[in-house]
Amino acid sequence: MSEIMISINNIIKTYRSMGDEVQALKGVSLSIKKGESVSVMGHSGSGKSTLLSIIGALNPPTSGKIEIDGIDLYSLSQEKRADFRREYLGFVFQQFQLIPYLTAHENVMLPLTTTRRSNKEKQEMAKEALVRVGLGNKLNRLPNQLSGGEQERVAIARAIVNEPPLILADEPTGSLDTKTGDEIMALFQKLNEEGLTVLMVTHNPDNVKYLSRTIMMKDGRLLNHDEQLITTMNNTIL
Amino acid sequence: MKLYNISINNLLRRKLKLLFVLLGLIIGIGTIVSVYSVVDAMKLEMTRQASEFGVNVVITPDAGGLAFSYGGITLPEIMYDVEQLTNEDVTTVASVSSKEMIKIISPKLMGLAKLENHKKAMVVGANLQEEFTIKPWLRLKNDNEAEADNDIKANAEEGDKNMSFQSLDLSRQELALLSLNDNQVIVGSMSAASLGLTEGSVLQLEGKEFEVYGILAESGNGEDNQIYMSLTVAQELLNRPDEITVIEMAVDYSLSSEEKLLSELEAALPHTQITSMRQETLRRDEMLTRLVRFGMTISVLVLLIGMLVVGLTMFSSVRERTREIGVFRALGFRKLDIAKLILLEGLLISIGGGILGYLFGMLVANYSGELLVGREIVVQWHFSTIVLAVGLAIFMGLISSLYPAYSAANQDPVEALRFF
Ligand SMILES: Nc1ncnc2c1ncn2[C@@H]1O[C@H](COP(=O)(O)OP(=O)(O)OP(=O)(O)O)[C@@H](O)[C@H]1O
Ligand SMILES: [Mg+2]
Repeated sequence: MSEIMISINNIIKTYRSMGDEVQALKGVSLSIKKGESVSVMGHSGSGKSTLLSIIGALNPPTSGKIEIDGIDLYSLSQEKRADFRREYLGFVFQQFQLIPYLTAHENVMLPLTTTRRSNKEKQEMAKEALVRVGLGNKLNRLPNQLSGGEQERVAIARAIVNEPPLILADEPTGSLDTKTGDEIMALFQKLNEEGLTVLMVTHNPDNVKYLSRTIMMKDGRLLNHDEQLITTMNNTIL
Repeated sequence: MKLYNISINNLLRRKLKLLFVLLGLIIGIGTIVSVYSVVDAMKLEMTRQASEFGVNVVITPDAGGLAFSYGGITLPEIMYDVEQLTNEDVTTVASVSSKEMIKIISPKLMGLAKLENHKKAMVVGANLQEEFTIKPWLRLKNDNEAEADNDIKANAEEGDKNMSFQSLDLSRQELALLSLNDNQVIVGSMSAASLGLTEGSVLQLEGKEFEVYGILAESGNGEDNQIYMSLTVAQELLNRPDEITVIEMAVDYSLSSEEKLLSELEAALPHTQITSMRQETLRRDEMLTRLVRFGMTISVLVLLIGMLVVGLTMFSSVRERTREIGVFRALGFRKLDIAKLILLEGLLISIGGGILGYLFGMLVANYSGELLVGREIVVQWHFSTIVLAVGLAIFMGLISSLYPAYSAANQDPVEALRFF
């Protein structure tokens, strides 16, 4: 078993829409070890979400190679990639993206829906995940009956219910107040300590202290170490 | 949790959308079911009439191509130079080799008889028991009318169950009443009204006095204008001994072929015109077929529109759920899982729409049937119809969900998760 969780080599992503071409990623190379927790920062439009969706096996790059746990993602068929997402990845989206007509418990069960487990097993796994995020007592609430922080926890429970090795989160604290945001970050820290690899896009420099490494992006490229230092300093000054 | 749990939850949450799609299906299926049921009931009603009104072969003198109008007012005067039917012809009819098909023969003499005031009245001489058996809708207005009504209804119900000839009930109570004396007549309702006759009053015909034995209840047919008496009495009164104007018969076609009987009759009675009411029935059938075709065309149109409504609603729902579908895909649902999810929703709606549409259609059939046919009709509840209706609804629902399901499955999850 390799030590490397994510290995990205010279990824280029060009979006074409209505004759317009946008190069969102202009040659990104990156390596993330198992057990790391990494934050991705950068200005709006710098390509953070694009990078995350490519790592998330949702968005084929225009060129370049990406491997997760040694698996070349985009050599897999679409259906195999769906299976891969289910088994390897936990997604936490901005604005939670809970399904409004399903209860917390059912939302967490979603990644298990298409697996061959028994109903009982699914229910127990989902309950366990909710207990892990501290929501064991609100199983049957609909999303709109939960606070923002609670919804975020449900979203995290949904991401970990399959026990994937890697969690991808896009601005998970973006719509939470500082205190709740800190609680959520502490939860991510706890999950990371329990062995999960975490990759998180964030705008909030305060979140960085909960994570082991920060990657800075600018105009579709990663900043090298020195540039990162300067930017981080600028951010701190600002 | 299974896919269908997601579908059910989604449907229950989007009640308005659900209602809209359901409505499309209900109207489509309802129209088909109601048209089908009304037509079915009409067919039943017509068969019932055809067998209840047992007259199905009429023999008249050959008027040399002139249509001989029977049923309305017949004018025997214009028939003078035509060879009339005779008592002998009746015997001939009764002895053809297919005679077992002929259940009842009712020969009649019709003519005009002078009243006291030099006006004339239509007199019909008939063997009344036969005449009243072959025309079971004829009955006497009597004091205990209500009781008679019940009898008729009971008869009609029996007729529904068994539409064969045996249902011509020879033992009807009223027939026992029909032992007319030679000086007694039975008067049609309109004649009675215009002549001011009631039960027991006396009437002069060709200078002879007759007692009104009873008045016929209104039938809406020619009988309302007639005065019934025994055949022999009429032949004597009108001074047309042996003469017969028309022979009406009830024939059971189930026993042997129609053609055989008709050709035998034609051979035995060369100077007559033989009309088989079967032709009538055939014509009615043709009309019915056209009606069915018309109804079905409309139904299919409504059905297509219903499918369009279902398809469009499903499609817009899929569009609305772009993000949701993106989330499903990110969480590891395969394209096929997404398609299944949408089709499952279509299926669930279809089953509901089929059942509700069936009930709606039956309701419409029950209320509109009376309007269309002009009398109360009996809409039948068939298990096969509900199976057909639900089957059709499922077919419709699935067909119209196909494209929405396909487009949902092929939505780009990245596009769906642009916020990501
Ligand atoms: N599906 C798409 N089609 C066309 N252009 C796209 C698409 N997705 C992203 N882009 C473009 O690619 C560039 C990078 O977008 P991306 O969403 O990755 O940025 P980001 O760093 O996540 O920004 P933000 O912080 O605002 O979320 C932007 O210029 C964006 O307009
Ligand atoms: Mg983004």
